[in-house]
Amino acid sequence: MVKIHIDKKPIDVEEGTTVLKAAETAGISIPHLCYHDAFPPEGSCRMCLVEIEGLPKLELACSTQVRDGMKVFTKSEKVVEARKGVLEFLLAEHPLDCPICDKAGDCKLQDYYDEYGLFESQFRESKEKREKKDKIGKSLIHDEERCILCRRCVRFLREITETQELGVFERGIHSRVNIYDLTPVDNNYSGNLAQICPVGAITDEDFRFKTRSWFLKKGESICPLCSRGCSITIEYHPGFSHFGVPSRVYRIQSRENQEVNGFWICDMGRYGYSYLSENRLDKIVINNKEWNIQPTWEDVSYFINQQLKKLDEGKKTSQTVLILNTWLSNEELFLIHKIFKNDQNLERIFFADRPQAEKDDFLLTAERTPNKKGALEMGFDMKPANPGALSDKTDLLLAFGSFLAEQISAADLKKALEKIETKVLFTSHENELNSLFDIVLPTALIPEKGGSLTNIDGKIQKFSPVFEPPGDSLPEWMMLADLGRKFGINSSFYGEFKTPETIAKEIENEVPFFREQK
Amino acid sequence: MAEKVLTQHFGLKNVYQIDEYIKQGGYEAVKKALKLKPEEILEEMKKANLRGRGGAGFPAGVKWGFVPKVDKPKYLCVNADEGEPGTFKDRYIMSHNPHMLLEGIIITSYCVGIHSAYIYIRGEYEAVALRLEEAISEAYDKGYLGKNILNSGFDLDVSVHRGAGAYICGEETALLESLEGKRGNPRLKPPFPASVGLFQCPTVINNVETLSNIPQIILNGADWFTGKGLPKDGGTRIFGVSGMVEKPGIYELPIGTNLKDIINKHAGGMKQGKKLKAVIPGGMSAPVLKADEIDIPMDFDSLVNAESMLGSAAIIVIDTGTSMLDVLKAVTKFYSHESCGLCTPCRIGTSWINKIVKRMAEGKGSKKDIDDIVRLASNILGKTLCPLGDAAAMPILSIAKKFRKELESRL
Repeated sequence: MVKIHIDKKPIDVEEGTTVLKAAETAGISIPHLCYHDAFPPEGSCRMCLVEIEGLPKLELACSTQVRDGMKVFTKSEKVVEARKGVLEFLLAEHPLDCPICDKAGDCKLQDYYDEYGLFESQFRESKEKREKKDKIGKSLIHDEERCILCRRCVRFLREITETQELGVFERGIHSRVNIYDLTPVDNNYSGNLAQICPVGAITDEDFRFKTRSWFLKKGESICPLCSRGCSITIEYHPGFSHFGVPSRVYRIQSRENQEVNGFWICDMGRYGYSYLSENRLDKIVINNKEWNIQPTWEDVSYFINQQLKKLDEGKKTSQTVLILNTWLSNEELFLIHKIFKNDQNLERIFFADRPQAEKDDFLLTAERTPNKKGALEMGFDMKPANPGALSDKTDLLLAFGSFLAEQISAADLKKALEKIETKVLFTSHENELNSLFDIVLPTALIPEKGGSLTNIDGKIQKFSPVFEPPGDSLPEWMMLADLGRKFGINSSFYGEFKTPETIAKEIENEVPFFREQK
Repeated sequence: MAEKVLTQHFGLKNVYQIDEYIKQGGYEAVKKALKLKPEEILEEMKKANLRGRGGAGFPAGVKWGFVPKVDKPKYLCVNADEGEPGTFKDRYIMSHNPHMLLEGIIITSYCVGIHSAYIYIRGEYEAVALRLEEAISEAYDKGYLGKNILNSGFDLDVSVHRGAGAYICGEETALLESLEGKRGNPRLKPPFPASVGLFQCPTVINNVETLSNIPQIILNGADWFTGKGLPKDGGTRIFGVSGMVEKPGIYELPIGTNLKDIINKHAGGMKQGKKLKAVIPGGMSAPVLKADEIDIPMDFDSLVNAESMLGSAAIIVIDTGTSMLDVLKAVTKFYSHESCGLCTPCRIGTSWINKIVKRMAEGKGSKKDIDDIVRLASNILGKTLCPLGDAAAMPILSIAKKFRKELESRL
């Protein structure tokens, strides 16, 4: 540890820390554009120049390492003037198209001008004319005029994906970032480029011109599209309930998590968000003619309870079948295990998940099962569902999710389900499959509920609700706790589970893996 | 005239060929050096205080001393990318006396423990590069290069690499990048090349003229060397004089020779009918001296005291018939063209200033433009990633300061 002073504030930091990071720990932010925590310092933007006592020139905060007794000044007149000077240079050739730039609102150049600039332009010459709308990748548009040559994109493709699709061409004022020989940026991580661009030089067609960043709310979540469990930020518009405009997700960004995904997410996770809003089920659907009212969860849970009791009285528990999936949280799987395996002694519990698919050598896993590790640790043997085992002497089927349709052909499924007397489906989406069930209950998705997932490496990751589930949808854990109260052996036990956190606590009490991970 | 070190063989027929060079006493320094211990050579070099002739003036012996003793290959890169406008000294050394440079390379490599040396030569010097390659091949044939040189057990390979015409590649770290086959952008320092250089290995980078001094230091000793020139700044320099003088050319003179004498005595004085207005004393990036400021010894410290620099010792003589606005235009055009574009102040600053100066030259300038130039150049000075920013800002600031009246008269 060394002792330094930044703006006269004494700070103890690890040896080898840079001035920039040391300042951050003290809550002092030093402006920077080219520096990104993922890469070694580049030192090219010159925004982070600071004054260090005893040194004649201003030094880079991003690359200068602390020395014991160092006195750093980040707001001295010299520093502020230098910052202004760099901003003046950057803005001299920068177009004034903030009103139509996607980055406006979270543009670092805009922020720094607001903080350190606010001068009138002295640039009387004509600006360089450059390419404004260059398609450089599957959904990436490059605006050379906005580019400040920080080379984050170039370094990302060189150091992270190692695909090196972008380079710097020409020299001096004519320097520009571009692709080689019209070969576009084509890798599963290309979307990160638009995110790490500190200005609006690289924009994403998926987001371009659709909204303004200041209209968006942000929420932290976990990506469930493979077994990695990358940390994400969901950016959504809350809608205008007054005018019947529903909430809508506009983009997903990666969120730093050094234990899982570093700074990045794959394009599948970034762009695959339509499932959050499209074809959502928001009402309980009854396909059984005997019901002539629109039931509530209370009605349905009473009905399931009756069915279970009827079967239970006849000691015919083998005639109830459960189909689960790994989008269910640790908490939900725990409740299911408790109610159906421990209390009801159910034997036939199957899993229907998304099939394995292509993986890459970075984050994307072949398994598309976000909580498989959790399910295994919870004590499920995870037998796959098959039509024969499903329908054999089955009176009651409780199925979760719609992945069954991806595992078994529609015709086979129809035949198998026809033989079952009562079929209840818990699902978040409208699906062909739904019509084969008597009762279909709308459920919440990951960003709409709380809980935790255990990723492929056994890391338990908590998530909290970002927005409300649509219509009458309910989080499964809530419904399961309710079922437990109604027909579990110890209803006061289930009565304690008012939040996912209370369930998580009980999991730690009962399942060694979850206790140890903590 | 003072005894010559570097140009002593100039004018002799065929001395660029190894047989003739040996006849003149060539390769004796290598023979002597290979019998010494590397530490002894380093000691002698530190004593000689040979300051770098590329422009920065860093003592070569100290630089070599920075190379860490690690189990990694080490490299020598010879900076022959002579790009500083006004400078043409290395070209003469390499074409007239390539073996003297090779001797310097061999001794340096032996001293530091280097087995691979690269001569990075500017692309425009095609004929010089060919001559170097011939000289290298002769040296291999005679056993001065290659395996087990003169049965000393020391191995050394030397090759020539031609640059592609970028001024920035004369900056040592950009030179390394270029040599590695990458875009010629300077690297962030630290780490310095002595510890992390070519291919991430310890690397010594020296200028052609610097290395060419070494054989004579080995033969005659450090005291002999410091006896020339000044005590703290020993030896001679090859002054390249260009511009409005009677006899433009190269002049090898002791360090500390008065600039006035170089122009008036050695270079034959001003061209007939011309009157001196200004001198750029150390290559284009050196701040300009006015006609009444040229009574000055040409050494590193004296020029720093005069707020200029010795740089590459290239003297550009400007007469009263030359417009300083035209000089400024040439300077700003060059640096904006040669900025590599990596860091903000240099990339945009040099271009912006160039745009203003161009407009001024078209007669559309104002007093505010001169203020702007000074302000912008000040925002470049000391704030860029490599010395090119300073190299651009210094002459601009000095011209704007010392010749402001003349510039204003051209508005």
